[in-house]
Amino acid sequence: MTSAALPSTGTTVSRRPSSLRPGRIALYVVLIVGALLMIVPFLWMLLTSFKSDLEVQQFNWLPGELRWHNFVEAMQSAPFLRYFRNSLFIAVGETAFTLVVCTMAGYALAKAPIRGRKSLLNYFIVLLLVPFQIILVPLFMIVKSIPLFGGNNILGHGGIGWLNSWWGLIIPLGAAPLFTFLARQFYVSLPDELAQAARVDGLSEFGIFLRIMTPLIKPALITIAVFQIEAAWNGFLWPLMITTSDEMRPLQLGLAIFSQNPAEIQWPYLMAGTALATLPMIVLFVFAQKRFVEGMANVGIKG
Amino acid sequence: MSTTLERPALDTPRKVPTAKDTGTLLKGQKRTGWALLAPALLHSAIFIVIPVVAVLVLSLTDYSFGDTWSWVGFGNYADLARDVDFLASLWHTVLYAIVVIPISMAIALAVAVGLNQKIRGLGFFRTAFYIPTVTATVAIATIWLWIYNPGSGLANGFLSLFGFAPNRWLADPATALPSLMVVGIWQGLGTKIIIYLAALQGVSRDLLESADLDGASRWQRFVNVTWPSLGPVQFFVLITSIVGTFQVFDLVYVMTRGGPGSDTRVLVLDIYQNAFQDLKLGYASAETVIMMIVIAAFIGVGRLLQRADTND
Repeated sequence: MTSAALPSTGTTVSRRPSSLRPGRIALYVVLIVGALLMIVPFLWMLLTSFKSDLEVQQFNWLPGELRWHNFVEAMQSAPFLRYFRNSLFIAVGETAFTLVVCTMAGYALAKAPIRGRKSLLNYFIVLLLVPFQIILVPLFMIVKSIPLFGGNNILGHGGIGWLNSWWGLIIPLGAAPLFTFLARQFYVSLPDELAQAARVDGLSEFGIFLRIMTPLIKPALITIAVFQIEAAWNGFLWPLMITTSDEMRPLQLGLAIFSQNPAEIQWPYLMAGTALATLPMIVLFVFAQKRFVEGMANVGIKG
Repeated sequence: MSTTLERPALDTPRKVPTAKDTGTLLKGQKRTGWALLAPALLHSAIFIVIPVVAVLVLSLTDYSFGDTWSWVGFGNYADLARDVDFLASLWHTVLYAIVVIPISMAIALAVAVGLNQKIRGLGFFRTAFYIPTVTATVAIATIWLWIYNPGSGLANGFLSLFGFAPNRWLADPATALPSLMVVGIWQGLGTKIIIYLAALQGVSRDLLESADLDGASRWQRFVNVTWPSLGPVQFFVLITSIVGTFQVFDLVYVMTRGGPGSDTRVLVLDIYQNAFQDLKLGYASAETVIMMIVIAAFIGVGRLLQRADTND
């Protein structure tokens, strides 16, 4: 596991940090037990995915042997490969869309000399508090009546609009106000002189945004990307609502369908499928950990 | 990052901008600003603002995907007051929030304080506590469904270590909702820990040291220095937790479908079923409005608590 040290300006006031006093030992014990409580369910998932149907009939920790073919059979028992591809497509599409829209808006909110900038910022902050679940019903109706898509006429009647389409899966939940806000928090801390200098050199306003300022907020871009990939990859309710064909179902939906019938669940296969669905995101987090944590902290504190 | 701040092209002779130039420059900046902002404004208007307004309007109708609909005034709300399923869902959701939010905030703060000492393996601990947060709720739910399995799950295996009788967990009305709460707390710790940890790094070191010199105990330092300076962050964590707990859906959908009976039925599940299985969109919208009001009330109480905390 890559360890990413936090900035060394900690607030630790302990006078003898390296000595092993009883208090410190107790601290380590508590933290380690806590960390185990977090990890054990995943370990249990992995162990189960190697077990046989017989072995899961009663409680035990270790599988008799490592049945790698459970993974192969899990992939074959449902169209997991297709689900996988669909999730990847949605995650990449949604992230690209979010990065473009939110950096643009974040930059304008931070640096553009437009009237009402403060109120516009407040507008996005208020929207940040609207949970998607609240607008479930009308969002569905709006997506259903997007004009000129899915057999709709120009007024949005007659067809299914963006239902059961990549558009519907990607666009409505992309570009969340949270990410606009996050991008803005990073742009706002860049010095204005930088843009001024580029302006004198004759770079266009858009060029300043794209070539000068945006490359400087890489940590924000990484945070937004990781956040959005996770959100898209883990999304469940929205795809459940708007997809009707197996062709477009993402991974999480496939998993849920797999676990629907409690009497007939084949636990080893289900756990193998869950492990395959979970692993990419954990790997992504471990790699992006440091940047991601910085970005998260910024949203919470600079607010 | 600091190295890229240097601009390479400093040697080109600079033109001193005249007053007229600054005017056109400013105009250009404004135009570009609006152009950059436009997509986000359009997107948020179509997919957030209009839906929020639409919920309010729909809640006064009996719309159900058909061509004909009519205004029903507050009829939906009157029906809701008598709807047993809705009342159960509302109660379970509120209960879920009241239990999960304070417990998870307290544990997260305690762990963050622990991690803020000079300890080894910070990266490991941070990853361990954060893994449940980056994992899809559906995946979490299937794992815990297996853990809670009455026959051969980990939970009963653990109980048997201490000689306790096996429990039926999600199948038992008495333990079903608490079992879900445990998963909710467990899953939500990571985000809160990271935000608290970042905030703890920002607590004034000088203040802590001078308190230390004055002979304040660890606990006194925490109560008098650390706690007050966490105020804004506490509020941020509280708000996101409120919004998050009221959204609980995936967990319940996969683990219990609201059962046994309707003992774990929650608001979003009820809204989802009314809207997309029974096709009562107007009715579901009225439920949503109630949910908005309850969330707003919770946030209001949160603000009051925060104000009381900072005043005394």
